[in-house]
Amino acid sequence: MSIEVSGLTKKFGDFVALDDVSVSLPTGQLTALLGPSGGGKSTLLRIIAGLDTADSGTVSIEGVDATGLPAQKRNVGFVFQHYAVFKHMTVAKNVAFGLEIRKRPKAEIAHRVEELLELVHLSQFSHRLPSQLSGGQRQRMALARALAVEPSVLLLDEPFGALDAKVRKELRDWLRRLHDEVHVTTVFVTHDQEEALEVADEIVVINEGRVEQVGSPDQLYDEPANDFVMGFLGEVTTLGGVVLRPHDIEVALQPGLAGAVRGTVTRVLRVGFEVRVTVRTGDGDPTAVSAQASPETTVVLTRTHARQLGLDAGTQVWLTPASGATTVSSMAPAGRRAAVTSGV
Amino acid sequence: MTSTPVLERPASPEGRRPRRVRRTTPRSTLTRGAGLGLGIAMLWFSILVLLPLSAVVAAAAEGGWGRYLSVLQNDQTWAAVTLTVSQAVLVTLVNVVVGTVIAWVLVRDRFWGKRALDVVIDVPFALPTIVAGLVLLSLYGPNSPLGLHWAFTPNAVTLALAFVTLPFIVRTVQPVLEELETDVEEAAASLGAKRSTIFRRIILPSLVPAITAGAALSFARAISEYGSLVLLSGNKPYETEVVSVRVLTFIENGNTASAAALASVMLAIALVVIVLLDVLQRRVSRRG
Ligand SMILES: Nc1ncnc2c1ncn2[C@@H]1O[C@H](COP(=O)(O)OP(=O)(O)OP(=O)(O)O)[C@@H](O)[C@H]1O
Ligand SMILES: [Mg+2]
Repeated sequence: MSIEVSGLTKKFGDFVALDDVSVSLPTGQLTALLGPSGGGKSTLLRIIAGLDTADSGTVSIEGVDATGLPAQKRNVGFVFQHYAVFKHMTVAKNVAFGLEIRKRPKAEIAHRVEELLELVHLSQFSHRLPSQLSGGQRQRMALARALAVEPSVLLLDEPFGALDAKVRKELRDWLRRLHDEVHVTTVFVTHDQEEALEVADEIVVINEGRVEQVGSPDQLYDEPANDFVMGFLGEVTTLGGVVLRPHDIEVALQPGLAGAVRGTVTRVLRVGFEVRVTVRTGDGDPTAVSAQASPETTVVLTRTHARQLGLDAGTQVWLTPASGATTVSSMAPAGRRAAVTSGV
Repeated sequence: MTSTPVLERPASPEGRRPRRVRRTTPRSTLTRGAGLGLGIAMLWFSILVLLPLSAVVAAAAEGGWGRYLSVLQNDQTWAAVTLTVSQAVLVTLVNVVVGTVIAWVLVRDRFWGKRALDVVIDVPFALPTIVAGLVLLSLYGPNSPLGLHWAFTPNAVTLALAFVTLPFIVRTVQPVLEELETDVEEAAASLGAKRSTIFRRIILPSLVPAITAGAALSFARAISEYGSLVLLSGNKPYETEVVSVRVLTFIENGNTASAAALASVMLAIALVVIVLLDVLQRRVSRRG
């Protein structure tokens, strides 16, 4: 294990930002810290880097207890959301900074900087100032600067968060390929589940200062530990007391299967190739105000399927979870339930 | 990490966009509004600054080079010039250090009485300089409660100049320090830089423009100070007499031409120092 965090707690005044967090991050992997805004991802990353100190708990990096070590001694590369460039230095000087601090010979530094700029495709910009680069280029420069000192771990705090969607996607793919080449243990923070699912080997879901689940993208998607994780990784709906994905519901026009929930279609919405059907389940009085009195379930069908069934507003249907559907009990505390809906 | 893996080029912004065709530099980038602004600025500057300055230089030039020489060859005047310039340089250097430290403390540290200190810094600005002289005289004069009899010695000049020029560098550096992003310092720290290295290589280069601007103001104020000095320094020829007092003496004796010549010498010195500071600033803030 490259990074071992155990029992970390961090408070800002009365506010608990991290609550007894323990997690092990394996060597050479690309791990995503995923979670909603304010969940404590940056705080955890900064404590690992030594930029913040925890109130209790320990951090060890590559088997060395780093809890009391200052940031300077941790040999950690850190990439910030807003680039944190040294704006009075050229691109080459920025990248050389860590090596100059380590008093490496001039020729070696020049050679290494050249290598790194090649790696991040900024060779032709080496004499520019950071202000003359685009956001994406600045972030690649920051990445080269962090890699220059051959860190034992590379930490990235929402590295592409300040970039537009298209550049973000390109850089995300590029980061994955870069990681496959250099194999440095990498942890990156994101609140974009798609980014995490697409890029990471392993995902740590963090919410309200706690680790909700750790696992591979497939594990998280197929076997979510709770309704929060399930809700955060994709769209969910409820049916008869369980949380499941809207495309994992079978719709029948007759009460065939045992345990089927009867309902009435209230709305049919076509979005591209799929159809989203809203079904009011239970015998709720249509005029009831409370959602509890007439719970609604969203079902996603292909257009062909919906046409076969001839669904329309007012149609009586029977709903069952599809066999093999991922479901989670919705019996969770109220506060956590609120988090689910905001996560979707 | 030592190998250089060759990766596919990302379709990065600069990859997609063809290099921009270099346009010929337009003669002026002024819009109508900006033109009006520049016009007003130039007019104001001319009336308030250029006109009086040219008048002084013209008045001084009437006597030709001979006048300059005779004024500067006068030992008493020369003593006043060297005293003024050396004291101004001295207090400016002191301010560069002390002013930066005070600004640092005000921005980065938390302590009891910080708000009060922040307000008190401006007192030398707010006080009429003659009052400042009076305050200093009561502290360092013949009846000094501190036992420091510095009045009427060159120390008095240093003291008075340091007092009135203190706020300049504090007030120019403080806002820049407030705007500095701490993540830049954190980036340097995680790359292994010690606090002192971070200050020297990361923070200082960002502060240099503000420090030199403050230093220019401080120096300019110091060579022109009059009010706080008349009481405290005693205006002893060859010892504590500064240029502004010397100019006044010339005028009182009806020797306006000499006064103008001395004034234009000081003008030249001020210009040289301001230009030097600017050059220095460009050098240092680019080095890192
Ligand atoms: N210096 C601080 N002082 C007080 N509270 C803080 C401080 N830093 C963070 N917090 C609080 O700690 C909580 C966690 O913050 P953190 O920055 O770790 O969240 P995050 O998961 O990175 O969120 P985001 O995705 O928005 O960046 C937040 O509620 C935040 O308000
Ligand atoms: Mg954050």
